[in-house]
Amino acid sequence: MSETELAKDLGLVSAMTIGIGTMIGAGIFVLPGVAANTAGPVVVVSFVVGGVIAMVNALSVAELGTAMPKAGGGYYYINKALGPLFGSIAGMGDWMGLAFASAFYCIGFGQYLTVFAPLPEVAFLNPNQVGALFAGLAFTAVNYLGAKETGNVQNVIVFVLLAILTAFAFAGFLSFDYATLTGDGGLAPLGTSKILPATALVFVSFLGYAKIATVAEELKNPGRNLPIAIVGSVAIVTVIYAILVTTMLGVVPWPDLSLDAPVAQAAELSFPASIGPIGGVAAGAAAVMTAGALLATASSANASILASARINFAMGRDGIVTNWLNEIHPDYSTPYRSIFLTGALIVVFIAALGQDIEVLAKAASVLHLIVYALMNAALIVFREADVEEYDPDFTVPLYPLTPILGAGLSLGLVAFMDGIEIALSAGFVLAAMLWYFLYARREATEDGVLSEFIREREDALPDQIVSATDAVAPSGSDGPTIMVAVANPRTERALMTLAGALASQAGGRVLATHIVTVPDQTSLAAAAENRDRIDSTSEELLEAAKADVERFDVPVETRTILSHRGLEEVFGAARAHDVDTVVMGYGGTRFVGGRIESAIDELTHDLPCDFLVLDGEEVPTSDVLVPTAGGNSSDLSAEVASALRETIGMDVSLLHVVDEGEEAAGREFLEGWAGDHQLADAELRVETGDVETVIERLSDEYGLVIVGATDRGLLSRIVRDSLAFEVIESLDTPVLLAERPTRRPLRERLFGPR
Amino acid sequence: MTAGSGVDDMDLLARVLLPVANEADARATAIALEPYDPAHVTAVHVVEKGEGVPDKTPVEQSEAVAESAYAAVRTVFPDADDSTAYARDVVAAIIETAEATDATAIAVRPRGGGRLTQLLSGDLTRQLVTDAPLPVIVLPSTEDPT
Repeated sequence: MSETELAKDLGLVSAMTIGIGTMIGAGIFVLPGVAANTAGPVVVVSFVVGGVIAMVNALSVAELGTAMPKAGGGYYYINKALGPLFGSIAGMGDWMGLAFASAFYCIGFGQYLTVFAPLPEVAFLNPNQVGALFAGLAFTAVNYLGAKETGNVQNVIVFVLLAILTAFAFAGFLSFDYATLTGDGGLAPLGTSKILPATALVFVSFLGYAKIATVAEELKNPGRNLPIAIVGSVAIVTVIYAILVTTMLGVVPWPDLSLDAPVAQAAELSFPASIGPIGGVAAGAAAVMTAGALLATASSANASILASARINFAMGRDGIVTNWLNEIHPDYSTPYRSIFLTGALIVVFIAALGQDIEVLAKAASVLHLIVYALMNAALIVFREADVEEYDPDFTVPLYPLTPILGAGLSLGLVAFMDGIEIALSAGFVLAAMLWYFLYARREATEDGVLSEFIREREDALPDQIVSATDAVAPSGSDGPTIMVAVANPRTERALMTLAGALASQAGGRVLATHIVTVPDQTSLAAAAENRDRIDSTSEELLEAAKADVERFDVPVETRTILSHRGLEEVFGAARAHDVDTVVMGYGGTRFVGGRIESAIDELTHDLPCDFLVLDGEEVPTSDVLVPTAGGNSSDLSAEVASALRETIGMDVSLLHVVDEGEEAAGREFLEGWAGDHQLADAELRVETGDVETVIERLSDEYGLVIVGATDRGLLSRIVRDSLAFEVIESLDTPVLLAERPTRRPLRERLFGPR
Repeated sequence: MTAGSGVDDMDLLARVLLPVANEADARATAIALEPYDPAHVTAVHVVEKGEGVPDKTPVEQSEAVAESAYAAVRTVFPDADDSTAYARDVVAAIIETAEATDATAIAVRPRGGGRLTQLLSGDLTRQLVTDAPLPVIVLPSTEDPT
């Protein structure tokens, strides 16, 4: 899509303010009081340590983000690299982490709100929680309705906040007293051992930078802007935290610093009560700080709710959550269900855990830290697996030290959390794994780069690793989609029976399409005028088709397509609907709609999925013969045969034709092949002679012969009528041709078709 | 009702621009337009951009919505063209597309929804009628099918 360039409208400043705007709310306005209470003045060091840990991880996020500027951020990279099990953990962890963080920001909002307007206690909720619930509901509603912010509101908010904070820093500098900072017990009255536990607490103030990566697809020039915005925003907030927290603690002795509204308190003491004749300056300053705090926490919560919808979208795309969750509201064009659910989680977290802001802050941090650790592992996997298409514009310095350090620091910091947050987060990780094995494993479509990497080296690695990889591998999509191109009523029944058997065996669905080929001379508009007539024929045909698969009890969809293109349209539809197998009649392949041969060649050399072409009109009822010499397409023959055996009870015979004298080797091959394809109990026939003659001789005994394409381009040769395989035309027995494309290149599976 | 002004260039329905929001809306709008037999139809979907703030929906998802809307239009007008615009100001983007595609008219179907919806979505029909420098055909309001 060349148009995606148009979709990129976030410049460097906007990207930077997304990060800064999300982070600054927590670090400055909410946490300094609580954090100082944990560690004393040395808490400034805790902030700086937090900034360093964030920075190491930020470098990794920047590399991954420039390699894959896709919606979803951390989840997306982890799912691609480590597969859907870790993808589930990362996606759920990111989502829940954002919900915890939003609940935390809302509590911060509530704390400052009570400064302005005294709120009542309601039932078991304290006033802060009441304010937070109000805020949580309001931010959810804003995102649900998708109310338009003016374009640069984020920038304005951040610049206003920076201006307010700069004014505060100046005033604070003037009333700064080193003696106040050191207080009675020196810089570390509670011991330096408190530095890291305090870092664990304040780390939530650094969670914003990864949000820049979740909107990477909207950034202009992401190769340059993404790393600058991510690394820059972490650097800037770290400096701001260090300066402002030091200032606050030099104005208010740390034991006295307000736990609820530290900035308002410090501002009131920093500014003189009056300047000349103007009174109430200090009180005014406190009010401005309070307003700033409300703005900052609101913008943090808002950004987090929006980011969580991105992650849900990315998970839905990969089948980890149902796409129902991500549907767009017809009027507001917002992913309203996803936002509603996130809002509900926020409300629950506020009500259940909001008494203690530390728990919310740390739970958010633990989940994010787990995601960061996995993200660093993902980076290493991408690099080591040597994925050709992994080509980041920005690379972390000192690889592999940086990602290893990032993962180590992230997990190390988790150790400084309290039991309750760790337990809570462990619970969510377990729930995510359970979710994967009970639900997502059946739905997820793609395995990670890591699994590919392991399977390619199956022989060199211990069996346990390989079997563990297989044990967690996704069991594949919502089941495959089997598309049938029905063309005429005579063959419809046989094709639908095949498709039904396949779908029922694999737990998939059937898509019956009727492609009405309109001659080039007739415009589609003119054809559309005949729509009534086409509609009724089409409807009849598709209804019959639907009825024929009913007994297989698989979901069926039908579709009529008007086209000039015939066979090409079959390919198009197969791609558009992400079809796994196309079933069509032999006659249908002849509908090439006046295209030149080279175009057909090109087309058929790049099959979008498995193709089954049936020459015959009868519904196969009796035994099936599968000649095989191994290979890609005969795997498909085996799958079809086993589906027919399982669903309609056909007996399967396997045939391997060898030269005279090689019968023993042939039998050995066939036994092995049968075993590999779950057809061990099929009848095995090893014959000698010319392949075509043997097939011709044996076919009378069978109701269907399934022939796998032995080399590439079988379909192409049928289409061009140059197939030197006269058997098909001469046999009375129906023949099913099976062709499986060579595996799609990794690039396409990883990054989607260009 | 139908284009009856005679001269081809003045035919209101020669090149109709059809703004569509999603699949259901697109189908309903196309069906509402069909009886008037336009000569050529271009469907346009505007992906709402934040232009400074992240979008309400991921771009990839918006583009998927656009594609399904175009497909719905083509069930009625098989050779309809399509055009996707990315803008914050939906109405301006529609007008811009109309000019770029040399449209003879813009056909809109008033969206349902209560007063709140119309307020929040800014009642696009009214804005279009007010702002557009070319004829705007307001189709009879129908309910969305399904």
